[in-house]
Amino acid sequence: MTATVSLPLLPVYLVDALGSSLMIVLAVAALIHVRRLQRLEPANFLWTFFFWLTLTLTALAFSRSFWHLLRYLFILGGHREIWQTIRPYSGGINTIAFCTAAVAIFYYQNTERVVASGRREAEALRLAHAELARANSALGQLNQTLEERVARRTEELQLSEAKFRRLFEASKDMILFCDGEGRVCDINDSGLELLGAAHRNEVIGQPFTSFFLSQEKGRHFRSEILSQGHVKEFECQLKGPADSQRYLMLTAVAMRNEAGEVQGCQVIAIDLSHFKKMTDQLVQSEKMTSVGQLAAGVAHEINTPLGIILGYTQLLAEDFADNPEVHETLAIIEKHTKICRRIVADLLKFSHPSAEQQMRPGDINRCLEEVLSIVEHTLNMDHIFIHRCLAADIPLVLFDPERLRQVFVNLLTNAHHAIGEEGIVGVWSRHHPERGEVEIIIGDTGKGIPPETMSRIFDPFFTTKGVGKGTGLGLSVSFGIINDHNGRIEAYSPPQDQELLAVDMHTAFHVHLPLATGEEEA
Amino acid sequence: MPTEQNGPRCRPAPARSTLLLLAVALPWLLPAPAWAVQVHGGAEGYIVHQMAHIFLGAALLFLLLVLHRRPPGTGKPWRHLKLSLLLFLLWDIDTTLVHWLANRLPEHALLTTVGPSLVGDRILLPDSWVWYLYYAGSHDHLLCVPAIWFLVLSLKGLGASAASGGQQTSTAP
Repeated sequence: MTATVSLPLLPVYLVDALGSSLMIVLAVAALIHVRRLQRLEPANFLWTFFFWLTLTLTALAFSRSFWHLLRYLFILGGHREIWQTIRPYSGGINTIAFCTAAVAIFYYQNTERVVASGRREAEALRLAHAELARANSALGQLNQTLEERVARRTEELQLSEAKFRRLFEASKDMILFCDGEGRVCDINDSGLELLGAAHRNEVIGQPFTSFFLSQEKGRHFRSEILSQGHVKEFECQLKGPADSQRYLMLTAVAMRNEAGEVQGCQVIAIDLSHFKKMTDQLVQSEKMTSVGQLAAGVAHEINTPLGIILGYTQLLAEDFADNPEVHETLAIIEKHTKICRRIVADLLKFSHPSAEQQMRPGDINRCLEEVLSIVEHTLNMDHIFIHRCLAADIPLVLFDPERLRQVFVNLLTNAHHAIGEEGIVGVWSRHHPERGEVEIIIGDTGKGIPPETMSRIFDPFFTTKGVGKGTGLGLSVSFGIINDHNGRIEAYSPPQDQELLAVDMHTAFHVHLPLATGEEEA
Repeated sequence: MPTEQNGPRCRPAPARSTLLLLAVALPWLLPAPAWAVQVHGGAEGYIVHQMAHIFLGAALLFLLLVLHRRPPGTGKPWRHLKLSLLLFLLWDIDTTLVHWLANRLPEHALLTTVGPSLVGDRILLPDSWVWYLYYAGSHDHLLCVPAIWFLVLSLKGLGASAASGGQQTSTAP
């Protein structure tokens, strides 16, 4: 017989009871932690596996510990037979718990696949995200660089545009742009003023050549642009405000596209009207000087024979005093010889006016009133009335009253002849302190001066009046007298002044005289 | 409303549920002796329980190997988990062995006192190392309690890592 040992079961019972109790507590703790884990990352399939693993292990621990503790309760309660009855159920349930836990554990293989698949997808997604982030960063940098460059270029463009816009707008010369059809696209304010347009819309869209006074000249300008690609120092006349004319010098450059086709042109026009006027005046002055010198020579040469003719005629008239027929003939010769002498005297006055002048400061309005009082009656006889607009605050002007009266009489007489009967003669006096001069305007509602004769009206012996009505020296002499007063005389037909046009003046003579200075007065 | 153009209406086929009802009812209508029910007695409960232990042990071993070869994460929680599984495996082996030995205890081995007290319970075992091993193995809670304790630690650590946005275990897509 084999030897036996007797071992106490109490340690086994104690460890079993205590361990079972701890198992229940720890199983609950494990369940709580795995639930927390699952709640934190519900999409993590690995935690789902752990949940089921923990759940089955907890069930196993519960089952086993529960039955063990129940066993002690039954035994200690004196119901050992009851425990013997339910003991197989305890073992069976424990067996099921073991199997369930094992099945749950074996499921890890699938879990691993799912997790690996998820990780691969996550990695692919992360790589794609990183790639996207890199691309986004690169795009951002590119965009930022592009934005900075665009901003810098825009600023440069704005500065450049502002600079050229200022140049364009502030230029006192006309600057305009035309499209390929030759229509005005843009024009600066000076251009609008030059063309007499109140608003830009009056010019924009109009063919530039339509502003040319001569359409032939316009076509020539256009063809030059198209053929040569540029036009330089092209002199022309454009229509100015109120049907006036503007003398311009154009410089234009065609704008071409890459194919070389003309897309438009840019034109810079310099207003030469004033320069042209001054040039004309200079030419006229030179002409007058030449004519005056010629006339003076001729007059001097003619004056002596005329004196001899007149003297001998008068002697003959005394000799033939008793012969009326001869005496009458000699009287006619004497009369016309005197006319010739007067003409010669006028010519001499025209050529050498300063010889007899007596310049002193005076009131120009008073001088005008004196002349008007003389001629007004004659004018009224022909139903011509005088429209006076004399400025009250005109300062003293240095002039020769006698000779200036002659100028005014000449101008008023010309106005009378231009009107004929029934009309208005307008007389204005104005003070221009900014120019240091006074302006006297004598206008009429007559038939006006044709443009072709305008350049010749101050020439000696030029007249449009009938035979016997004028010698053609009135305006020439007036020109000489005013010139001798350091002034100038200008004729406009039609007038350019709106005030004159308002009272239907067709012709106007503007006499400009400088103001008297204190030194001259002294 | 049907028209002649729709053609004559077909008679409906016998319902599938009717056929199923007939199939279920037929065995009741034709009764015969049944030999399919097997009686389970004797050692079957013990064998099934031992098989369950082996099944669980195999599962635990499998999981341990997989976690060792292809660890899903690193760090203390995972080490705790593997330790927990190892202890569960040892406990499973221990209990399987104890069950096996318990089934081979001599008739006189277990002495119990009569009555509710357990203090005086003693066991008479053959004087052999195997039965000493059996006696020691009966303290199986010394293995399973630490096992579940490390499981709790592991889950707690994983939870803390997940709460702080940990990197080692995250598999969320």
